Amino acid sequence: MPVSARERVAHVVRRLSMAPHAAIAVDLPDTDAAIARALDLSGAAATPLAMAPPDGSAKPDVRAIVEPIAWWLERMQQADRMVEERLTWFWHDHFATSVVKVREPYLMNRQHLTLRTHASGNFADLLKAVARDPAMLVYLDGITNAVDERNENFGRECLELFTMGRDSGYTQDDVVAASRAFTGWVVDLPGRPFSPRLERVTGVQPWDSVFVARRHDAGVKTLLGVTGQFDLDGALDVILGHPATATFVARKLYRELVGLDPDDAVVASLAKGFARDYEILPLVTEIVQRPEFTSDDAVRAKVRTPVEKLVGIRQAAGGKSRPGGGAVIARALRAMAYVPFVPPNVGGFPKGRRLLGPGNLVHTFDLVAAAGTAPESHDGAGALAALGVFDVSATTRKVLDEQRDPQQRFALAVASPEYAVT
Amino acid sequence: MSGRQVSRRRFLTGLGVGATAAVAAGYGLTVWGDGGAGRASSSAGRRATPATLGGRDDRTLVVLELGGGNDGLNTVVPTADPAYRALRPTLGVSNAIALDDEIGLHPELAKLAARYHDGHVAIVEGIGYPDPDLSHFASLGYWWSGVPGESGGVGWLGRYLDGTVGAADPLAGISIGPVPSPALLGTQSFATSIADASGLQPTLPAWVGGTDGGDVDDLVAAWGGFAPASPDPRTLMGEVQQAIAHTVLARRGLDRDLAGFRPTGSTSVTGSLALAARLVASDRPPRVVYVSGLGDFDTHQGQAQRQPVLLRDLDAGLDSFFATVEAAGRADRALVMTVSEFGRRPGENGSGTDHGTAAPHFLIGSGVKGGRYGAPPSLTALDPHGNPVATTDFRSLYATVLAGWLDVDPFAVLGRGAGFGPLPVLT
Repeated sequence: MPVSARERVAHVVRRLSMAPHAAIAVDLPDTDAAIARALDLSGAAATPLAMAPPDGSAKPDVRAIVEPIAWWLERMQQADRMVEERLTWFWHDHFATSVVKVREPYLMNRQHLTLRTHASGNFADLLKAVARDPAMLVYLDGITNAVDERNENFGRECLELFTMGRDSGYTQDDVVAASRAFTGWVVDLPGRPFSPRLERVTGVQPWDSVFVARRHDAGVKTLLGVTGQFDLDGALDVILGHPATATFVARKLYRELVGLDPDDAVVASLAKGFARDYEILPLVTEIVQRPEFTSDDAVRAKVRTPVEKLVGIRQAAGGKSRPGGGAVIARALRAMAYVPFVPPNVGGFPKGRRLLGPGNLVHTFDLVAAAGTAPESHDGAGALAALGVFDVSATTRKVLDEQRDPQQRFALAVASPEYAVT
Repeated sequence: MSGRQVSRRRFLTGLGVGATAAVAAGYGLTVWGDGGAGRASSSAGRRATPATLGGRDDRTLVVLELGGGNDGLNTVVPTADPAYRALRPTLGVSNAIALDDEIGLHPELAKLAARYHDGHVAIVEGIGYPDPDLSHFASLGYWWSGVPGESGGVGWLGRYLDGTVGAADPLAGISIGPVPSPALLGTQSFATSIADASGLQPTLPAWVGGTDGGDVDDLVAAWGGFAPASPDPRTLMGEVQQAIAHTVLARRGLDRDLAGFRPTGSTSVTGSLALAARLVASDRPPRVVYVSGLGDFDTHQGQAQRQPVLLRDLDAGLDSFFATVEAAGRADRALVMTVSEFGRRPGENGSGTDHGTAAPHFLIGSGVKGGRYGAPPSLTALDPHGNPVATTDFRSLYATVLAGWLDVDPFAVLGRGAGFGPLPVLT
């Protein structure tokens, strides 16, 4: 099926944001304008969700995570600073951290703000911020990593998932060296027995992370062939200096935005520029200005995630949400392993064709509850246009046109093949 | 198989599934691939499995994946080994349920221990693979593919399904968990994935007609219309269309198999195992059920608090699973096998344990010759990273169930290799 000009513009908007933004997409003249619109970060940053820090006297209430989830899903629909939404989600998936282990929604919200702050900024700054982020220190056990009790969890995942990637030349010895360098960071968890003394000795504020020198392994380490008395930032600088890191991140971001596997030469060129200063927005800009990004092959090359589907449904319905739909949606997202702040493991959310299992496909219907009522439509094309889909196959059009009830037509449009991809 | 039972294949052919499912031939791989995240599979991944393996279709293999890497050392405890107590000064289990004078089970596995004493549990010790990789994702990939060093392609059970049912039966292999298990990924076969114990039942708001089950069925029927007669397999859209057609067919079959089933169980473990039990007890049992999402066994920290909860849920889930299949008179049809990407390191890291290598696994069912197989790895001759050296290749575990339970040539599925073969576990 040839790609229409309108679908191509909608493609740009979808890939560079977390929502279809159908009303905006139809007004943009071409893909250049769509790229400029999505990358426009000139407006004020979103006012973050303020969560009061718990005083530690009560057990953490994990269910309070619904507050940042609701805030985030609402934010994804907004039409300003679009690319920040795409990148904030990308980094959450990249630095996957789950409230199921962290237990404290307040810390998850703080991590979210860290990701959001650095989303389009500098990867080296982002990495260093995440490495000392309280939620991450709890999630990958940095807080128990000490000179006499080394814990390899963060060290291994940092090399494998956050920076260099698998089969890029590091060994188990490098995992150990990095883990040693990362020792000494703890989080002041109010209510825990150690908290008052930690605050007295270090001056740390409740819920902040702090470096405790006597827990740190100050010895000499050899990491990736470089020898020194590395601490956290020192080790991260060595890792950032390894060419595999820029290559891994550039390739992953290319796949996220373009939806295709890049040629090695393209990755090498992107990585060379990225490695110079690790600035994220210039890398994004370079990727999306490549011809592949707007090529026919890239359009609808990705499987749409449940979160993207949900945000599109809410946007199509004008953001109205039917009271009571929340429980159904939460159950569906849980069943599909797609609850924000609850990635199934440190590898992030399932992606690609693993989202096309029968269980996942039927639960797409459940997400319709997010609409409250179907947006007005007279035919199948209209129902899909509300969801930001403009090129429709003859088969899909026929099924939707035959459906007389507009509510059922909308439900079918949500579960259509066209809306399953992006 | 009793006379009133219809073979699954005949049943599905009667529904007209055979003809449509044949269209699925060749789609399995592309529909379930992981989107390019892993390394492409090489020789074994592309190895064509002849659809001539035969095998039995009246028994079910239920695989339980303990994701994250279960600590085998505290699951099957070497109670008599002084090295164990030295390596586990704080996390060591001191009140294991004795199975003999060498080993005991974790105290939260009391029902499993009773089943062991009844002779229905085989413990295979020291399972791993050569040149261990301590990455979750690499190691899981090898366990899924059944080929050490290879991940991202066809799964070992996908190859089994390719060679036995091919595209004829989408309910011969069922995956329970939030994402389809890559172990079931085949080139011709198409296994069905069920996200949770609710089966393949959508929930629609009342304004779409969700309160009336008939409307849901009508809507799902209309949904099936999205798949054209011959979707283009070269496009992602074509794959989606085929997956929708497949889902509609699978749902129709499951409606029969699960008629009257209401999900029970207070945890995802008990819920998933209740669903698995019901599938085993149906008139058309699947050949394979693969259950994942059974908890986070990656106990780097807080292991003394976390592992007991995980094992307690597992023990309760297994007990209710066997209670259901025994009550249905189908105890002789079910074999449960545990898998996990690796064991954990014998040495403690403080309050937990890091990624390790060899671990014991269980084969459970009335067809099992209970007892101990394989060999416990030495705790005094650890590898340079402080991990035990495996004594038994994980493909021996696979070969055991392929040959002894599913009744196919294990080497046609796993390839021929030195160092592994079936263990004499199954009668």
